[in-house]
Amino acid sequence: MIRRIAILLLLSACRTYPDYPVTERSQSMPELNARMRGTAPAVNVTAERIRAARTEPDNWMTYYGAYDGQRFSALDEINTGNVSRLRPAWQFQFAPIGVIPNPATYSFEAAPIVVDGVMYVSGWDGYVWCLDAATGELLWQYQHAIPLDTPMCCGNVNRGVAVANGRVFYATQNGYLVALDATTGKPVWQTGYADVRAGESATMAPLVVKNLVIAGASGGEYGVRGHLDAFDMATGARVWRRYTIPGPGEPGHETWTGDSWERGGGTTWITGTYDPELDLVYWGTGNPGPLFDDGPRKGANLYTNCVLALDPDDGSIRWHYQFTPDDVWDYDGVNENILFEEGGRKLLAHFDRNGYLYILDRTNGALVRVTQFGNSVTWGEVDSTGKVTSRLRPTREGTVICPGPAGAKEWPHAAYSPRTGLLYAPVIDACATFRLVPQPFREGMFYLAGDADVRPHPQSGAVKAIDPATGRQVWEWKGESPMVASMLATAGDLVFTGEPSGHFNAWHARTGELLWRFQTGNGIHSNPVTYRVNGKQYIAVPTGWGGWVEGFAPEMLGAPRGTALVVFALP
Amino acid sequence: MRKPAAVLFAFSATLLVTGCEYVRLLRPSVLRQLNPRVVRLVNELPEVDQPNEKMVARLFAHGGLGRAHQDADGVFRARVRVPSGQYIWEPAIIVMRHGGELELDFSNHDPFAYHAALLPSNGSREILMLPAHKRGTARMKLDGPGYYFFGCPVANHAGRGMLGLIIVSGDSPETAKLDRPKQKRPQRVEPVDVRRTE
Repeated sequence: MIRRIAILLLLSACRTYPDYPVTERSQSMPELNARMRGTAPAVNVTAERIRAARTEPDNWMTYYGAYDGQRFSALDEINTGNVSRLRPAWQFQFAPIGVIPNPATYSFEAAPIVVDGVMYVSGWDGYVWCLDAATGELLWQYQHAIPLDTPMCCGNVNRGVAVANGRVFYATQNGYLVALDATTGKPVWQTGYADVRAGESATMAPLVVKNLVIAGASGGEYGVRGHLDAFDMATGARVWRRYTIPGPGEPGHETWTGDSWERGGGTTWITGTYDPELDLVYWGTGNPGPLFDDGPRKGANLYTNCVLALDPDDGSIRWHYQFTPDDVWDYDGVNENILFEEGGRKLLAHFDRNGYLYILDRTNGALVRVTQFGNSVTWGEVDSTGKVTSRLRPTREGTVICPGPAGAKEWPHAAYSPRTGLLYAPVIDACATFRLVPQPFREGMFYLAGDADVRPHPQSGAVKAIDPATGRQVWEWKGESPMVASMLATAGDLVFTGEPSGHFNAWHARTGELLWRFQTGNGIHSNPVTYRVNGKQYIAVPTGWGGWVEGFAPEMLGAPRGTALVVFALP
Repeated sequence: MRKPAAVLFAFSATLLVTGCEYVRLLRPSVLRQLNPRVVRLVNELPEVDQPNEKMVARLFAHGGLGRAHQDADGVFRARVRVPSGQYIWEPAIIVMRHGGELELDFSNHDPFAYHAALLPSNGSREILMLPAHKRGTARMKLDGPGYYFFGCPVANHAGRGMLGLIIVSGDSPETAKLDRPKQKRPQRVEPVDVRRTE
């Protein structure tokens, strides 16, 4: 018996296979797409051209369309008189392949960039596609391999690319800034800038300013130390890093107790805006860590939940404005900062998650006006001078507080039309039960110290048109579900956005009358854009439901999942 | 040969050809992980490992773990085989010490099926076709750290067991690290309270 065991043991250890000659070689997926051209026409985007993007309405040249973040287009071929005839022109579809990180939460959130008839759009799981903007033909594609265990906050998502100097720049979910050749999609350089071991990742679209690519990182749920980084566009070498949580000896450090600054959060996961005349970049920062418990971090916790006005040359902070000090509700201050003028004054508009619309003087950060835009706001109060009084806080038993953790408006962006002088915001109307569950810190693990459950509470949404000169609501369209896609305003006096139901809608910008809608087949949580090729105006909207649905619309968690870029034009 | 001598011979020979992996089993860090549920898993494997009976119960780690070795040209290399009639990769987990280029050398010893490998790489996923009794190579670029999926995209071979992982060990690049004092990380091996979780 023992001899038999010994022989078996020996045989199992020595199992051998016959050897075959190597006859097969792997091929990349694009090599196996015989219809893909593989190259795109060269486009010549310079920092100067991006600076003057307003003069080129044919193109959507940077994340918000222009540095001012208005998400407004001067194109008016599609207008209130003919929008009812808008029809799909082409679609681009792509599905996840294999096992991907967070397969239940991938979402198509990007803002496509369009320059001279060429479209660049990014997706979940490290994808970038280059398309013919008139026909939808796939010209090239790139995919960065994303580890399954990337510590994403919420969804496997990416919000877009930046294009300049013959390159396409984007941030991979696992924290690399990658530069691709814009004509071939081949990588030129990559630099790791977000520490996945510490809980960081990256989802935002980078911003090109002068010779720099500026990129923020995610990870506010993991107790990281937030930062914004700028890289040399040509080489990928880092030029500066600005931590949003001041270290010992730096101004603002006194707003943290003990060593809590080391895990302070303040991440930079939404693209900033830029005023070339003032030479200031405006970038929002996220929640402090831990999210729901200020026990370990008593104080205002600078610079979390702020807009930072930064010198793009060295990242120094010229001024800051904090929307929600001592936050225990997950009210990130990352939402866009829209630059506009009022009576010759240089202003900035910011719809915060905390339910208030802030109008600031963007030269110095002085508060001009603050008004409530969220329907239910019970966490506290911001008076007309900006003074914050907090009223309800998470408790061990659970406290119902409004708005929920996604705020009265999540990251999807508002728009501003210089024609109507109005701001248009996608609004969430939902409360949550906020619970406090104190916890220790472990690097790379969630650092929430509680939770916020939206499920027991009704959820709805709205599109609101607001006059920034008064904060007064001019019109409102009530949606069945929370509105979580960016607004697009055009000179055709139209505003567009999508719904979680898959409807893509156009409203009269002055009256709020719903003029047109199209069922795309999948929930919309992205950035619609518009552009013109060969004299024809197109409207493009990525559809693909997912992301942090349990946070902003848990009643739609079971809605259909898919991914398609749907592009509309007049017949 | 006397019985004890035969056992000793077999044991020594096994150690020799397996690179002392059995001896490495005796490390405290390994023994700490041998809680009753893990031991039960190992004990159950011969039973679930019966094609057409309980194949649905296979684990994608079933083909075991192998290390990719770095050659003088800097490329990590490893062999992966598809044994006959089992729908597994052997090994199913390949470990790279750090990010870089990886070349996997696959051979299909399975006369029952046409297989393929769908693999991760910066730039694009790679596909390697593996007809029966054929061998081929795939070259990948992975930065890591982290673990990456690979699998067989033919029919549902992946669902039946041909799922694998490439683990890139190491830390994040220096350019990514946060300027803060070293933070406490989770324990690598969490003690398991069996009574509480049973």
